[in-house]
Amino acid sequence: MTTSAPAPGPPGAPDRELLRRYHEHGDVSAREELVERHLPLVRSLARRYAGRGESIEDIEQVGAIGLIKAIDRYEIDRGVALTTYATPNVVGEIKRHFRDRGWTIRIPRALQELNVKMSGAVERLTVRLGRSPTIAELARELDATPEQVLEAVEAGSAYSPVSLSASPGNEEDLDLMEVIGTEDAGFERSEERASLEPALGELPEREREILRMRFEEGLTQTQIAERVGLSQMHVSRLIRRSLESMRDSMAD
Amino acid sequence: MTEPHSPQPELVELETPVGSEWDPVVRLVLGGVADRLGLGFEELDDLQLAVERLLAEAGAQDSVRIAFELSSDHVRTHIGPLQEAPIAEALQGPPSAPGELGLRRVLETVVDAYGVEEAAAGELVVRLEKRVGPR
Repeated sequence: MTTSAPAPGPPGAPDRELLRRYHEHGDVSAREELVERHLPLVRSLARRYAGRGESIEDIEQVGAIGLIKAIDRYEIDRGVALTTYATPNVVGEIKRHFRDRGWTIRIPRALQELNVKMSGAVERLTVRLGRSPTIAELARELDATPEQVLEAVEAGSAYSPVSLSASPGNEEDLDLMEVIGTEDAGFERSEERASLEPALGELPEREREILRMRFEEGLTQTQIAERVGLSQMHVSRLIRRSLESMRDSMAD
Repeated sequence: MTEPHSPQPELVELETPVGSEWDPVVRLVLGGVADRLGLGFEELDDLQLAVERLLAEAGAQDSVRIAFELSSDHVRTHIGPLQEAPIAEALQGPPSAPGELGLRRVLETVVDAYGVEEAAAGELVVRLEKRVGPR
């Protein structure tokens, strides 16, 4: 069987035309042009995930895989702009990457799964009981033993705090950068909270706010979690990481 | 083990090397104590944070003894002996100055009471107390 090579399109051909050439005629140069054209989008999205323990180049490469998959899966008849279609694919690929890389040591899958369920269970029980649940109550809720609950909590400590987007539990698809970035009336600065400013120095704004709420305002982790839209367990991890980071900075 | 409601506190002791790689061991033991006592998940987290920050602040030393006294309404944790100098500097100086987020302020926030006891010469034992919330 012979095929005729498609005629090269004009430079700067619309995405739709390039997509058609690739999908209908197998023109890989059109695909390459699409990738090249939309790499700035990938770079822009990748930057949102910088500073989490992975080089920006690595994140961009992962994002580029998402872009290629989007181009390959794109359905011409859908009539959606490629950028619209590609964005969730790129973000999804990056998030999957962090999620897969997030466990810094090998944790049995059952424990990982229990840890992921834990966050939601803590939230449910806190609402139901009006207080922080005990280990035994969590164990009953999760149909596990207290020992398994403790192991799963500890397994969570092996979850790299760089994986801010891979939130536990039902927050899985929630990007913390988006949540934390929103204005909240509770975030209004007060003089008391400002007094911690020198110590908080180089921490990202959200971590500084969380530390102020905890150590200036004296809010509990649960109260902070409600204010910022995170789980209590995630707030706990951010507090730990921030205190360690501050201590490391002072030691340098 | 009997119910932790007897008049005499029950004692759990752990001697562990000092270093962040040993923090998980301490956290797991603390978790067991919290389960035994019915401490809330967040109260447990507070106490774990207090112990971790204290050990991080204690400086280089080979090992430390951690003793938990369990009563019906609180757990008292004794940590030591620790080298006197870094702990004294962190806990026994003037109150937290504005702009400081040191060990003192962390402990003031996450435990209900804390104190320092003399041990051998040049060494201290730190006492942390966490009450069990209403159930």
